[in-house]
Formats: sequence, C-alpha cells, structure tokens
Amino acid sequence: MNLRLIAALFLSFGLLLTAIPTTGYAQVETSADQVILTHSRLQHIIERHWSDSTAAGAGKFQAGLTVDSLRDMINEAVRNGRARHNTHGRPGTLYEYDFQRQIGTTIDGGPATRLRVVVSNRNEVITAFPF
Amino acid sequence: MHLDYRLNEDRETDWSSVTEEDLRYRVALGNLVFHIGNKDFSADWDWIPLVDLAASFAEIIRKLEAGSPSEIFEFTESDAWVRFQRKGDKVLVSTSYGEGVAEVALHSASAAVKSFVERLRSELDRKHPQAAHNAAVRKLLGAG
Repeated sequence: MNLRLIAALFLSFGLLLTAIPTTGYAQVETSADQVILTHSRLQHIIERHWSDSTAAGAGKFQAGLTVDSLRDMINEAVRNGRARHNTHGRPGTLYEYDFQRQIGTTIDGGPATRLRVVVSNRNEVITAFPF
Repeated sequence: MHLDYRLNEDRETDWSSVTEEDLRYRVALGNLVFHIGNKDFSADWDWIPLVDLAASFAEIIRKLEAGSPSEIFEFTESDAWVRFQRKGDKVLVSTSYGEGVAEVALHSASAAVKSFVERLRSELDRKHPQAAHNAAVRKLLGAG
C-alpha cells in the first residue's frame, strides 16, 4: 500500500467523523441563504413534528421524510420563503414557504403545504413545522 | 376571564443558565387553561412554553392599552393563534383552534394576565430557586 493511498484513507476517515452529528452540528452552512441545523434542534423537530410523533397541537411532516429532505426543505424555505420578524419580542426571524404540494398535516389533520422555519439571530434553526 | 396553566415536571433544566431562547421555545413547558364566559380557549398540548406565553400576553396587553386595535399571539410549534381585538374598553378574543368569540373588559384581561405572570414566576421560583436569579427569567417575568 503506497503512502498516497494510506493518506487518502486517513483523510476519508477524518471526514466521516466530522460528518457524524454528536453534540455538534448536523449541518453547518455559512452562506447567507442557508442556516445551521444543530443535532439538538433536529432531534426536537423529529420528536415534535415527525409523522410518528404523538405531540398534540403540532403540525406533522409526511411519513417517509428523510433528514436530508428536511434540510433541503428548510434551506428552500429560508432561500425563497417570506421572511418576517418574530413576534412579541421573541428573538429571530420566521420564514414561511408554500411548497405547492402536501408536505405534512396541520394540527387538525388536514393537508399542509407550507413550512414555517424559526431561525435565531445566530442563524440557527430553532424549530420547523408544516402548516 | 380565567387564565391559568399547568406546568410540566422538569428535573433536567439548569435554571442558572437558561437563556431567553430556551424560555421562548424549550423550557417551562405545559398547558394553557383559558376560559372567558362559556368559551374555552384552553390548549392542552403539553409543549407550550409558558414563560414565553406569559411574556407575550403581557406585551399584547401593553399594546392594547396603548391603543393597538388588534394583536395576535402565535404558538411556537404550530400555526395556531389567539387574537385580541380592542373594542372600546373591551377586548374580543378568538382563536384558530376554538369555537366562537368571547368578550372581556380590557382591565379584566390585564388583571388576569398580571396574575398569570405572578403565579408562574412564584411557582418557578419555588420549584427552581435558581430561576429567581436568572436574568432571562427576570427580563420576561419581571423581578417579583
């Protein structure tokens, strides 16, 4: 095994480790139209808004949604959605985007086509849910 | 107007270090108990951030008292809302999730919200003594 191959293997292993979310970030994006989704916030969205979540009064994503698809939807909503200041002193910005197709269900079980993403002043996703 | 809450048990939060964002979205979660006359606008979803709700309702009352014609409280994890519309000395209250419109005197709504804030602050201070010294808690619920 030559040195170049060994170095490539070490580099690949290092990249794999940095890609595994532990207590850090599930995704780090730094461009202006993309946001940071931390592992803990991703867990929050899964626990409260995944199709198998039992949380009452919260919109749910469609069954089968993958984490990668969720990230794509969040970034699309932030990039193309309507932005407004968060309300009544809450920090951050709300982004709302209509995907023109069902992405989940509303709190009363109806079809939801829109996504609301709450983003902190540090450009981190706080929560995201269909409505 | 009956405005109350049910605070979930919480033994995990370090109340010395909670931030405003934590209080707005992640800690002191529970249910809203909200009746006006025979209208029930309660929300028993278990995840409502009660400090955020208390601070937001207080802000809404301040704005209504200052002359705002209408204010809307948006829940943090859904598109559900509570609308407050000023009509002279009265406030019309409606929600996206409950039936009908209720009417309450603005001074009654103000007193109910003030009492809600004080009871929540007292319960948090009693259950989590470090909350009394947390700057974010004091900012949102007052110093007591």
